[in-house]
Amino acid sequence: VLHTARPLHTSQQCLAPLPPLPEKGGEVRHGLIPEEFFQFLYPKTGVTGPYMLGTGLLLYFLSKEIYVVNHETVAAACILSVIIYGIKKYGADVAAFADKLNEEKVAKALAVKNDAIKELETAIEQEKKEQWRVEGRGYLFDAKRNNIAMLLEANYRERLLTVYNEVKKRLDYQVAMQNLKRQKEQDHMIQWVEKNVVQSITPQQQKESIAKCILDLKALSKSAQMTV
Amino acid sequence: MNLSFFDQFSSPYLLGIPLILLSLLFPALLLPSPNNRWVNNRLSTLQSWLLHLITKQLMIPLNKTGHKWALMLTSLMMMLLTINLLGLLPYTFTPTTQLSMNMALAFPLWLATLLTGLRNQPSTSLGHLLPEGTPTPLIPALIIIETTSLLIRPLALGVRLTANLTAGHLLIQLISTATTALLPMMPTVSILTALVLLMLTILEVAVAMIQAYVFVLLLSLYLQENI
Repeated sequence: VLHTARPLHTSQQCLAPLPPLPEKGGEVRHGLIPEEFFQFLYPKTGVTGPYMLGTGLLLYFLSKEIYVVNHETVAAACILSVIIYGIKKYGADVAAFADKLNEEKVAKALAVKNDAIKELETAIEQEKKEQWRVEGRGYLFDAKRNNIAMLLEANYRERLLTVYNEVKKRLDYQVAMQNLKRQKEQDHMIQWVEKNVVQSITPQQQKESIAKCILDLKALSKSAQMTV
Repeated sequence: MNLSFFDQFSSPYLLGIPLILLSLLFPALLLPSPNNRWVNNRLSTLQSWLLHLITKQLMIPLNKTGHKWALMLTSLMMMLLTINLLGLLPYTFTPTTQLSMNMALAFPLWLATLLTGLRNQPSTSLGHLLPEGTPTPLIPALIIIETTSLLIRPLALGVRLTANLTAGHLLIQLISTATTALLPMMPTVSILTALVLLMLTILEVAVAMIQAYVFVLLLSLYLQENI
């Protein structure tokens, strides 16, 4: 973390594809001292070597009063105990929180990718469906053709009907004309006959018919009186 | 050599070279620098989460012009936070216990907010001197009071931070001296005093964080009034 360590990085430059972050941080013992120190001292002094070194150093500093025990020591003990308590209690939670933040970041990007993939898959499905629909276009066109044929047929029949009606109307007219003509001739003839008959009745004949009628009437009245 | 109680507040020198600048810049070395990875290690992730939280909190009440102050306020917050927290370790020098340093931070920033307000919207910032709805006879007195309160703000900002931290450090020193002095004579009382010291340390951790937050929050409030 100290920037002075940067010149010691002898591997690739920063713009190249970054090497992946290591899974875990460096191993430390007691939260402070790197494991490499213990491994460094192991060949010469074994397992207890570093601890002996530490104890010896501590006792040396205390006995020679290079480190003086005064009120600051008590204050140091307090603050260190607070710090260590805090780390022990909340350390795992904080680490989990940091991991969760990273997880969410990666998950968001993955979600974008997955959504895009899903959309493309749905698009492919729909495309396949359209292709299947294309196969049925023969039926579609047949049905359409049938429809049109029916429409044409119906239209033709309608027009046929109109033609028939028109022709019938004209023929009816002719028949009506003939009937009218005959009727008129009949009426005219009847009238002419009646007129002539009335004209042919001479006054002599009229008198004779009237006298005959009177005689008939008298005879009838006599018979009527007789029956009464 | 014997330490008096105020030696912890004297600005450090090494062979005549003042180390105050070093003690101000050192906490920055402890924070991870932003690198060009998309997914970082835990420390960098936590730092960026904290910075995002602080900036969001500070910038929500401000309008667009106020967002220009984001870098200033967030970096001030991080500096005060790290300086205060590092000062709780033994044998460390806390620069924020120096009144000169806190006044040097508070005075120019407060003056900047005041001059921004007076320059861009003079009537509105002068209008803040009279709260709404005051009864008419009180108006002259209230204007004098509000002006005094306005002019005392930088002093209050600086002295608040200095006094809180100095008092805390001094108390820690005193109680730990009492604990050390009582240890050979009355060990039980010494243990009780040590417990008091433990409580005080926890309080001081909280105070360190709260004072940094309060400093920056008040500055952002003065900015809100004036921007």
